[in-house]
Amino acid sequence: MKKFTLLTLLALFFATFLSAQSESDQLIGVWEPSNGKARVKIEKIADKYYGKIVWLREPIDPVTNAPKVDKNNPDESMRAVPLKGYRMLKDFVFKGSGEWADGTIYDPENGSTYSCVIKLKDDNTLDIRGYVGVKALGRTDVWKRLGAKK
Amino acid sequence: MYMKKIQRWLLLLSLLPLAAAAQQRDTLPPTPAEEEDFSEYENLGFADEAAKRYCNPKILDLSPNRFVSLGWDWQLPYQAEFSPLGAFEDGESPSPAETADFRSSQGLRLSANIPVISRNSFVWQMGANFWNINYGGKVQTENQNAARLADRLLSRGLRTAGINTTIFKPLGEKQFLLLQGAADLNGDYTLADFQSLQYLRYSGAVIWGKRPHDRLQWGVGLARTYRVGELNYLPVVLYNWTAPNRKWGTEILFPARAHVRRTFNPRSLLLAGYELEGQSYRINNLSDEDQSLEIRRGELRARLEYQRQLGGFIWMALQVGYRYNYSFNADYLPNDGQEFFRGFFGDQRYAMLNTLTNALYVNLSVNLVSP
Repeated sequence: MKKFTLLTLLALFFATFLSAQSESDQLIGVWEPSNGKARVKIEKIADKYYGKIVWLREPIDPVTNAPKVDKNNPDESMRAVPLKGYRMLKDFVFKGSGEWADGTIYDPENGSTYSCVIKLKDDNTLDIRGYVGVKALGRTDVWKRLGAKK
Repeated sequence: MYMKKIQRWLLLLSLLPLAAAAQQRDTLPPTPAEEEDFSEYENLGFADEAAKRYCNPKILDLSPNRFVSLGWDWQLPYQAEFSPLGAFEDGESPSPAETADFRSSQGLRLSANIPVISRNSFVWQMGANFWNINYGGKVQTENQNAARLADRLLSRGLRTAGINTTIFKPLGEKQFLLLQGAADLNGDYTLADFQSLQYLRYSGAVIWGKRPHDRLQWGVGLARTYRVGELNYLPVVLYNWTAPNRKWGTEILFPARAHVRRTFNPRSLLLAGYELEGQSYRINNLSDEDQSLEIRRGELRARLEYQRQLGGFIWMALQVGYRYNYSFNADYLPNDGQEFFRGFFGDQRYAMLNTLTNALYVNLSVNLVSP
């Protein structure tokens, strides 16, 4: 009887753990920001979530005729880094209830990094809110999940 | 006294979010060490087939939107001539009943704009603003017919307090609707002698536009405006454009403002152009007969504006330009606050015809800008 109770408790523990794990990993995938200019792959590294640019609608800089680089970065040493592969989402931690926080979002268009919180609205939709200091001073962008074309 | 206290509090409040703004530190390098084959991400589609794309409210390299702006506006010395009270046709030249040398007119300009709803398919922003104009100088001459408007301006100044809203509604990937509305309380009121809300003045605009690509948006519409001093209805043209080299561009909402933009880098830019600025200001019980007036202040400001990032999300903007007076005439204002429409072609007579010489001006602001 004791063995049965212990096994049941262990099973419940693992089920809860796996369920939480599965919910937190719903963020993983390839997403498209509202402007449609890029695709971002979100992945998990250690216990945090990161998003890197994996596709650009215009991958070539029309001025240099070379692949786009992070030329607007305030750090001059970063301005030759290619945008493709660039981690623009960093350090997100799952907070439960479909929310990932404590991270930052980088905007390569102007070289600014904003505080950011991500909310999963449904399986295929994210609200990405970049903000300045307090969440009220921010802008929400809606990202859509991408998959293989049907 | 009260107004100075309010200004001090507004200044403190506006600095709070500035203090909170701070950039975060990175933990991982921006690019992974391993090579990746990116070709697998080329042939993807929306997982939700019903998902749609919408056009963005901004284009590349526009000067940044301001969440909070705290500024000071100075007009350098100029002279003014005020007619007596009467009934004057536009274009008449009545003898001035009072003249004034204004050493300066200057004041605080505070505004805040907060996004209420910010989604791909709908953006709604609410804002508030407070402008103060204090006049310094002296009345030079005055005769028995003078309405003593110069005295009133020197003793009480003018202010504007208002709220505004902006709605951006994308109509698919290339088209959009832009709606703007504002309600402003303008006059020589103070906190102790506040102005009734029946004197609110409403303005707004509706614009339909297209955004063919990331460097161009244009639109046409209609505005109800006080920018020429009194109520008017004007067609408007929006034309925001950035050149392929991303060094040059335009920011135009004609006729309200039009600027050529030179972008030095993402953290500094220069605008050259003009803005029409104006409102109708109630002057309470001015004459011996306690007649209230409404000053139709309209001016064109030709200017250079340099904007640069000070750090993080805090930017400064310095305007230097020439203020050309378009109108400082006045109308009688009924006690119920009702106004009338004269437009460019109406023949209603003015209560006062006033002239201001033109002046150099400077405007300096510190701004918390939007993501």
